[in-house]
Amino acid sequence: MTTTTGTMTSTRSLSYIALFAAVIAVFGLIPKIDLPFGVPITLQSLGIMLVGCLLGPKRAFYTVGLFLVAVALGLPLLSGGRGGVAVFVAPSAGFLLGWLIGAVVCGVSMRQFMKRMPEAKGKGLLIVAFLSSLIGGIVVMYFFGILGLMLAAHLSATQATLAVLAFIPGDLVKCAACAVLVQSVVRGMPSWRLDRD
Amino acid sequence: MRSLYSTRRTWLHGVPAWLKLVALSLGGTVLMLTADVRGIAIAAAIVLALFASLGPAGWRQWRMLRGLLIASALIAGFHWAMGHPAIGLVSALRIMAAAMLALMLSITTRFDDLLTVLETILSPLRRFGLPVERIALAIGLTLRFAENFYAQWQRLDDAHRARTGRSGGLRLLAPLAIRALQTAERVADALAARLGG
Amino acid sequence: MTLKTLPPAGAATPGIRLESVTLSRGDRVVLEQIDLHLTEQRIGLVGDNGAGKSSLFRLICGLDQPQSGRVSVHGCRTDDAGERRKLPQQVGMMFQNPDDQIIFPTVAEELAFSLTAAGIGKQQARQQARAFLVARGLPDWADRAVGELSQGQRQQVCLMALQITTPATLLLDEPYSALDLPSQLRLSAQVAATSQQIILSTHLLGHVQDFERVLWLDKGRLRGDGPGRDICAAYAQDVRERAALHSAVEVLHHAAQADAT
Repeated sequence: MTTTTGTMTSTRSLSYIALFAAVIAVFGLIPKIDLPFGVPITLQSLGIMLVGCLLGPKRAFYTVGLFLVAVALGLPLLSGGRGGVAVFVAPSAGFLLGWLIGAVVCGVSMRQFMKRMPEAKGKGLLIVAFLSSLIGGIVVMYFFGILGLMLAAHLSATQATLAVLAFIPGDLVKCAACAVLVQSVVRGMPSWRLDRD
Repeated sequence: MRSLYSTRRTWLHGVPAWLKLVALSLGGTVLMLTADVRGIAIAAAIVLALFASLGPAGWRQWRMLRGLLIASALIAGFHWAMGHPAIGLVSALRIMAAAMLALMLSITTRFDDLLTVLETILSPLRRFGLPVERIALAIGLTLRFAENFYAQWQRLDDAHRARTGRSGGLRLLAPLAIRALQTAERVADALAARLGG
Repeated sequence: MTLKTLPPAGAATPGIRLESVTLSRGDRVVLEQIDLHLTEQRIGLVGDNGAGKSSLFRLICGLDQPQSGRVSVHGCRTDDAGERRKLPQQVGMMFQNPDDQIIFPTVAEELAFSLTAAGIGKQQARQQARAFLVARGLPDWADRAVGELSQGQRQQVCLMALQITTPATLLLDEPYSALDLPSQLRLSAQVAATSQQIILSTHLLGHVQDFERVLWLDKGRLRGDGPGRDICAAYAQDVRERAALHSAVEVLHHAAQADAT
């Protein structure tokens, strides 16, 4: 949380990080669909992608990290009111690590795109945000999620992948929703820069 | 936001937080290293007895365990169907036992105490630039604003219902995110005034 | 100067009716046995915080349902989900804080939303929203980001979003509280100029003193109902008396404590 270019000071960073960790928590309060294998379909992963795209890789890392620390300390911030260290030993724990890395990757991807096309708005921005959410929110997230499932449930890679296949369409929709969200936020707050660190 | 901590005191409440964390880590490691069915069964039975000794404070959190129970049962069933029931049983019991241990920690340890332990563990990293005090501040902010944003969500939903007769749903995510950005700026100013920088 | 997009629902409709309405939240009674028939063009609503003013508005908009009694707005009942869909065409509510209401990132989209909610197609709604802004003398507001507007300007956007569909009634819940003086004057002028029925809740009695009817809510009950001047004077008097009583009690209390030491 060091000083970066623009008007971002460390206190500003702290504020954004803490508040967007709160946003992720609130995304979890929106009713979810509970499915077998204990892997919930929630909007929280949408919050993760959003944080990655909006805040940039470094801040996204701290935000998701802060969120996970808060959950580990016992706060029921995970959707469905789950919390405590117990969620880190569940079969779906891999996804939590996936959230952390995925948000960073989202941020890196977004930043790389925006540095090359800083004036992107409208359709361009939509595509960029969608791709970033896809790479970070699905590829990375599921990589770690499947890994976690393999370890916890003693499944092979193929078996674990098959187990989570059903959720991918829903998450693809979430990527699209994230893209729309990013675009709306940029339109509502044009002063917010997406190419900052 | 109600945490998992139970105000109904048990024998475990009096044990210092760091000790419980150490015990949890040791217990978790033992569970991970035990691979045979008998060993795991004994370990699981011990954990179950410990959990039961907490009394109603433990059973109140049955919901947390329910999801994991379903996941474990599915895993066990899957492996049994594939012809190696032992692996499934070991996985299932390990998950349940680890989760119960972790849950025992969350139920009997105050959030503040865990935070203090966390800060103590992290304090050597202070000389590497990690702002340890700020973590507590950040978590406090996250909690406060999670409630705030949730209330904001409900107010936006009210306004939407007043204008359309229906609930807003996902459409409200954009104004919420924008509001979060705006609030973060104001909070940063307030913090800067009190903390400097 | 409002753009008429829907037939005005004012003329022969029966006004806002509350019949023996009681509203409770949990075990707290918020409004008790309210009977009202609101047909006047300008109605004020005064009372202490917590007296039930916002709750009354929420009932009229269909956000809450009364435990007993009935609410109907220009013939549209609030207890039926189907009818509630049509309620926004009869009554619009402006909440205290514009940030609690604005849903879309740009002004034109926010205005167009009111129209699409009323059933108008997206393209046409966009055009009408822009035309509305032009008619108001604010053509460059169409694509402006809501996040860059000042508080007073956001309040204006909220008001426009409500007026664009010309509902018969507008409920304004303490609209002046967050505004600076110029914005207050502007809002006051807009309120005076509009042909819609306005029900305005406020702590600034001066704004409703000249209204033909003012309602005084006290702890969930209707304590006063009459011409603006009389009710405002009575309410102000009551507040002064309570304050005087309160300080008298405090003086006695301090005196008793001083005696005891």
